[in-house]
Amino acid sequence: MKRRRLLQAIAASPAAAPALLAQGPGSRLGQAGTAPARIATVPAGEAATPAPRFFSPIQLETLRKLAATLMPPLNGNPGAIEAGVPEFLDFLAGSSPAARQKLYRAGLDHLEAEAKRLHAKSFPSLEDGQIDAILKPMLAPWTYDPPADPRKHFLAAARADIRAATLNSREWAAAASSAPSRRRRGGGGTVGLYWLPIDPTRPA
Amino acid sequence: MPRKTYDVLIVGSGHSGGMAANVLTSKGISCLMLNAGPVADFERDRVTKAAHELPYRGLGKPGDLEHVFQATEYNANTWVSEKEIPYTHGNQTPYNWVRVRLVGGRSLFWARQSFRLSDYEFKAADHDGVGENWPVSLAEMDPFYSRVERILKVTGRKEGLPQFPDGDFAESQEFPQTEAVKRLTAAAQKQGIAVSRMRSAMGENGLASSINLLLPGALATGKLDIAANAVVREVTLDKNTGLANGVLFVDRHSRQEMEARAKVVVLAAGTLESTRLLLNSKIANSSGLVGRYLFDQQYGCTVVASMPEARDGKAKPGMIGGGVFIPRFRNLDKGAKRNFIRGYALPMGTGSTPDARYFPAYGDELQKKLDSYAGSCIQGGIYGEVLPRFENHARINPGVKDAWGIPVLHVDARYGGNERNMAKDAANTMEELYRDAGFEILVKSDRVHPPGYSIHELGTCRMGKDPRKSVLNEWNRSHDIKNLYVVDGSAFVTGGWQNPTLTILALSMRASEHLADQLRAGEV
Ligand SMILES: Cc1cc2nc3c(=O)[nH]c(=O)nc-3n(C[C@H](O)[C@H](O)[C@H](O)COP(=O)(O)OP(=O)(O)OC[C@H]3O[C@@H](n4cnc5c(N)ncnc54)[C@H](O)[C@@H]3O)c2cc1C
Repeated sequence: MKRRRLLQAIAASPAAAPALLAQGPGSRLGQAGTAPARIATVPAGEAATPAPRFFSPIQLETLRKLAATLMPPLNGNPGAIEAGVPEFLDFLAGSSPAARQKLYRAGLDHLEAEAKRLHAKSFPSLEDGQIDAILKPMLAPWTYDPPADPRKHFLAAARADIRAATLNSREWAAAASSAPSRRRRGGGGTVGLYWLPIDPTRPA
Repeated sequence: MPRKTYDVLIVGSGHSGGMAANVLTSKGISCLMLNAGPVADFERDRVTKAAHELPYRGLGKPGDLEHVFQATEYNANTWVSEKEIPYTHGNQTPYNWVRVRLVGGRSLFWARQSFRLSDYEFKAADHDGVGENWPVSLAEMDPFYSRVERILKVTGRKEGLPQFPDGDFAESQEFPQTEAVKRLTAAAQKQGIAVSRMRSAMGENGLASSINLLLPGALATGKLDIAANAVVREVTLDKNTGLANGVLFVDRHSRQEMEARAKVVVLAAGTLESTRLLLNSKIANSSGLVGRYLFDQQYGCTVVASMPEARDGKAKPGMIGGGVFIPRFRNLDKGAKRNFIRGYALPMGTGSTPDARYFPAYGDELQKKLDSYAGSCIQGGIYGEVLPRFENHARINPGVKDAWGIPVLHVDARYGGNERNMAKDAANTMEELYRDAGFEILVKSDRVHPPGYSIHELGTCRMGKDPRKSVLNEWNRSHDIKNLYVVDGSAFVTGGWQNPTLTILALSMRASEHLADQLRAGEV
């Protein structure tokens, strides 16, 4: 066999190529029309639940109660609890710079301390009215700069984060698509153009 | 391999570099453009995603781009990473440096608001005795402004106001004169304040970028080569003549060190990057002013109100919607006595839905408020002049290097009493106008964002006739090195309240034509 013919035979025979080039690429993906069908996957969030690891158990319970109070289910839309917001915020705060971590931890500890001081109970077991009495004085309207007082700052940040994380949740999007008229009430369900990394380079 | 030779080497491909390439190549001058980042592909690099498909539900990756308030989780990959190319500032003096290194730079994403400076800015020192005049006047800039306006297709309404010079406007539809707009206009007129409308560049398909308006024409001449991913570290000089002869750069992917040569070097890397290049090269600084007189415009001060008649879904067609634009109205008379000099503009929009943060409420109560106020809001802000001050500066921080081993900038800038008093006046004025128009105030804040937020960083290589008091001459050419030009916002002497890009483009066009003449005459 002429050398050229031999090479052609190797290229045409799937079994021969790996035998000759043991560590070489074993497929013919370089050739047009040979790509295998794409394997279907599901988002991990649909198949599993988050495992919170940043807040202490009592901080997480306090956050659950706070989230349920600030963003309950309204107009048939899911609320913060249904949207998995406390667990998401555990992840978000846990991945955040120290300033946000401190803001959240200190803010949640403060709510618990107030509940103990005023009612000798844990924040999550307070009545609605008792919770309002603690939260309302901590509310302040703001534009760009959150309130300077750290407790007011915490509530402003938590209220904004809880609301955004609810409106942007998978659960909210599902509810909105099942009843489009609801989507307009309360906004949410953002869909947009996401920029992928552009010609990324690896760090040296 | 023989290296190609070029007449002019341009660093940066944004508005300023794109204009230089466009003008120079149109006159037959060969150019090499180096740009630090890659080309973005608007088809391939963008995908449609719901917020819940993003890792942080659209709230953004924590700790990423902390100084870029404009960043979202959707567009995070378009900004310069603060980890890859850091800069430093003092603990108490934050500075927001908002950068794009893609080919086209920030022209890919700018908001296209386009205003001329007036002689209140070009000749500010003549008006109030503070600072320096520009070495050019509105009359000299007028033909260049007109040509740039035609390229960008700037729309606007002619007003005949000296502080708000009219331009060569493309035809455009009138904004709706709704009841809300009429009431705001009447309230302003009662105080002798002139009301206009926004002026903005239509470009092509909503894009007024170097990549669609300037670079294609330059490439079509066959006289332009663009090298992407070329991170310039310094400008090189010929040892014998002291003239610039090219640059050293790093290939962003391979990290190979390269050198490029040309007869003339034009810096168009954006105000602070051009400044960083000069400082790292240790050149063109006999005045000691490279990096000095950094300023921008102050933004952030906001007043939001609601039109009661437009609440609870009762807004009828023609009641609310559209905006007004109030150009500078303070200190126009020479003898004006206020606790601040210069002035600010007030952009205002009507018919918006309020942000939840304006209401001290939660749960059902908050949702009812949001439903009730939806579409009834009037929102105004400040575009405020910032005084150029010697103390506000950028310098090299030798202790910190970026991912390419290039020393980074330390920025030291703060606003002063003039800015604070101006912001207070702006908030009070907006409140008065709203009340007079019968609107209910929801929030009022006279606090402004940190310096840099407006993305209009200017100064640091200012132009002037006196080489002791300026870095560049009246043609954007270095006083020290006669074949080195800087054509971006660093040349500004004052900035006024106006978004600067129209002026950056007009200056770059003017400088590039002058350079072409010099080349033709064999002067450089
Ligand atoms: C969201 C947004 C909205 C805006 N809205 C407005 C507006 O409404 N009106 C207005 O007037 N202005 C606005 N601006 C500002 C406007 O975009 C800028 O003033 C203008 O685009 C600056 O152009 P430039 O060419 O000077 O700089 P840039 O656009 O920053 O371009 C500089 C280029 O230089 C390159 N470069 C930098 N360093 C190096 C290096 N070391 N080596 C090689 N290349 C380098 C970069 O890659 C970049 O492409 C806005 C900006 C943004 C981001």
